[in-house]
Amino acid sequence: MARAAPTEERTIVSASAPDTREWRWSFGIGLGILALIALVPLLGSQTALSLWTFIAMYIVLAQSWNFIGGYTGYPAFGNVAFFGIGAYTIALILQRGIPYLLGLGLAVAIAAVFALIVGLPVLRLRGHYFAIATLGVAEALGEFAASKDIGGPSGEIFLNPPPINYRISNVLFFYAFLGLALVTLLITVWLTRSRMGYALVAIRENELAAEALGIPTYWYKVSAFVLSAAPTALAGGLFAYWQLAFEASGEGGAFDVNISVTMILMAFLGGAGTILGPMLGAIIIEYLDQYTSIAFPAFHGPLLGALIVLVTIFLPQGLIRLVRELMRSPAGVKLSYTTRFKQGVRRVTRFIASNGV
Amino acid sequence: MAQRVINWLLLGCFFVAVCVGCSLIWGTQYVINWLLLGCFYAAVGVGFSLIWGIMNIVNLAQGSLLILGSYATFWAYSVLHLNPILCGLVAMVALFIVGWIIQYVAINRVIRAPFLVTFMLTFGLDLLIANVLQLLFTGNFRAISLPLSNEGINIFDARIPYLNAIIALIALGLTGLLGLFLSRTRTGNAILAVGMDRDAARLMGISLASTYALTFAIGASLAGAAGAMLAVTLQFSPIFSGRYTLFAFVIVALGGLGTPWAALVGGMAFAFAEVFAPFLPGIGFGLDIGIAFVVLVLVLILRPNGLIGRPFYS
Amino acid sequence: MSHASSRPMASEPAASGATPALELDHITKRFGGLPAVDDLSFSVHPGETLGVIGPNGAGKSTVIGLVGGAIAPTRGAIRFQGRDITRMTPHQRAQLGIARTFQIAQPFAGLDVHENVIVGALFGGRLRTRSEAARVADEVLERTGLRAKARLKGDELTVADRKRLEMARALALRPRLLLLDEVMAGLTPYEVEQAVRLIRDINQSGVTVVVVEHIMKAIQGVSDRVLVIHFGKRIAEGTPQQVLSDPKVIEAYLGERYARERQAQAQPQANEGDAERAARGEGDI
Repeated sequence: MARAAPTEERTIVSASAPDTREWRWSFGIGLGILALIALVPLLGSQTALSLWTFIAMYIVLAQSWNFIGGYTGYPAFGNVAFFGIGAYTIALILQRGIPYLLGLGLAVAIAAVFALIVGLPVLRLRGHYFAIATLGVAEALGEFAASKDIGGPSGEIFLNPPPINYRISNVLFFYAFLGLALVTLLITVWLTRSRMGYALVAIRENELAAEALGIPTYWYKVSAFVLSAAPTALAGGLFAYWQLAFEASGEGGAFDVNISVTMILMAFLGGAGTILGPMLGAIIIEYLDQYTSIAFPAFHGPLLGALIVLVTIFLPQGLIRLVRELMRSPAGVKLSYTTRFKQGVRRVTRFIASNGV
Repeated sequence: MAQRVINWLLLGCFFVAVCVGCSLIWGTQYVINWLLLGCFYAAVGVGFSLIWGIMNIVNLAQGSLLILGSYATFWAYSVLHLNPILCGLVAMVALFIVGWIIQYVAINRVIRAPFLVTFMLTFGLDLLIANVLQLLFTGNFRAISLPLSNEGINIFDARIPYLNAIIALIALGLTGLLGLFLSRTRTGNAILAVGMDRDAARLMGISLASTYALTFAIGASLAGAAGAMLAVTLQFSPIFSGRYTLFAFVIVALGGLGTPWAALVGGMAFAFAEVFAPFLPGIGFGLDIGIAFVVLVLVLILRPNGLIGRPFYS
Repeated sequence: MSHASSRPMASEPAASGATPALELDHITKRFGGLPAVDDLSFSVHPGETLGVIGPNGAGKSTVIGLVGGAIAPTRGAIRFQGRDITRMTPHQRAQLGIARTFQIAQPFAGLDVHENVIVGALFGGRLRTRSEAARVADEVLERTGLRAKARLKGDELTVADRKRLEMARALALRPRLLLLDEVMAGLTPYEVEQAVRLIRDINQSGVTVVVVEHIMKAIQGVSDRVLVIHFGKRIAEGTPQQVLSDPKVIEAYLGERYARERQAQAQPQANEGDAERAARGEGDI
């Protein structure tokens, strides 16, 4: 059903190119933010620790999604499938007495193989179809786990806690997630400078031209997909032993499609295809999410929906690009910050309007 | 021209053969169920197909609009005590208005954006509508039971419930009406034009904003009709919104875009899978969504244009 | 200019008997029922510039798509330097040394001009590191006159510059065969002259070039030979002069009635006038 002409099939990113020095700034700020977050256990509050552990987890998820969704331009809606695979693998191996760390390695391996097998057919699809197909895979896995009673009746899992004092284990998991977040940040920065990164951006911007320039697009797409699967699965594996109880689908389940959408929204809000975007988005949204669940539990769902609607209408490029665009000065011309800002505001409003009828 | 007639004849023969074959293997009741369910699913998919075919928007909110239609029908029946068919009409009108507003206020603002943006927007709307419904009415399942619910006629050893048969006829009627509207009326033609080339249509004086709003409104009102059907035959709850969005997607992917009748083909194909797949070893019941997705992925890989898809809506 | 490349430059224009750089062997491409290219066969000699012209919709861009690999032929074979490439994917062909431009120039929007060319050098040009690619990009930008605009973003370029960027990106591949898809459409006469000079320069460095155009004057300036396509079939082939005075070509461009009227008058001056008018770019051109 290829109805759109090439110029209509625009991608997520169509704004200005990043300054090649900018990655250093983004990297530095990212490290700084992670370092600050690392201080949270010093606050001594269990609620704060739990909140920021979730935030760290979502940073991992959003940044992993960024590899396939932001940089390659293939918005996978089913990355929660890898999360669930990680979680259920850990559940199954713990129930059989296999050591946890070994289990984590196994979880990553299984998820990677799964990503490869699923990616091969699914990455031949474009746009809507790719998104829905990946969503389908995640949903189907969730339903499968529930109806085949994987790990427990209806796929409900109850695990025995690790043999350590729970306060210590909470702190350990916190740093595990944070460490994983650091790893994904490093991968992202590497990606923006590497050969693979150029290939992915080329695929995102103009897949036909990319192929004509000698890029084996198919293999890069699959690689990006597998790359996004690994940290996601690890996060799932950590989640399983941390929370100790979860189910297959439904609210908060390991295959819950809301997790998929949330990680996309986070990357979107911050800026898909940027280094800092997913991290920023993860912090903002998860913080808001936890806050509203406590303050207005009933409104949690509609609020998320409303947030998605507002972000897609007014912030389709994400916060990072918004800031960049606001402060941009035309090539070679030096303008004062206020002039730049005013021009930037005009440019941004025009851009938002250009998305409409 | 002759080729087309031959194609349709072959399709017809194939169809009859399948009906007879399945009757013999599993019993006529299942075939009846399949056919009636297929018509219902046509209604579920046809609005979705219109919105997608004309505006290239995958309306992830279709399911929650459908459920909204169910609630509207329920309200009309229990509060206004109207005849069920009028209740359905109420639902269609209500959804028409809601659809118009949604398109005009929200979706029209992102229609030229990359597809992920509209995708996320409709997802957000779906979340919003479904959750608000849940807040207002709780997640309890409701249904409308009519005195007609249990009546039916019996042929051979199978039973055709009156209600489902009427629903099937209405669904077929709506599909046909939509087709006629699109091809025979001026407004309908405008919608088709916008679907083929929106900038050219605009240059010919067609207002894009209103046409889009109209298209979405029609799609939403058809979802409302399907919701009304759901309310009287099965049961509904906001929890089902995602399920029906998914079903609509699979139905349209199976049938293809290009004509309202594709939704019927897709509906029949999907209903077939739903009714007969549980007979396959190891599947059993309760895997509705899994089956739907497997079918979907297979279709996307093997026949991405659907069974009778065409490049433009006509 | 010698670069660190694993691929040697193409040789001088060949004597007859040498393997043609490109060969299309009874190529047919159908979209649905209609043949866009209909049993087309031709060869391109190494080191020459072949112009491909024809009225709009004649199937010229389809030819580029077929040779580049984006489109698969319904029937027939394509050979590059004697090697059958019909089954190869676009990226494999790029790695062999076939580079193409696209009719609608779409630079990679997230990158600046320099980085756009780097992409080409890194992959098709088969370089390993970014710094090597950057050096090649610098040379290519210099050659195509885009040096000054290296840091501009894709959407800040004029149409002419975008087309030059398309060519620059293709050149970064160090191609042996360059396919240009209507690079001169939409350019002012001055820009057309610049493009002609650039293409001649590229050809002289040993690259075989196939130029698809529908502006007669541009073709005259660059081509050693010209191929005329109409309704997907070849209707004439030869030097630009020969082709421009071919009555079949005139008929295709200016219409059947006009050609018949001219034939009826059968005066040498009249035929001359047709060729000149065609050259100036009038009629259905």
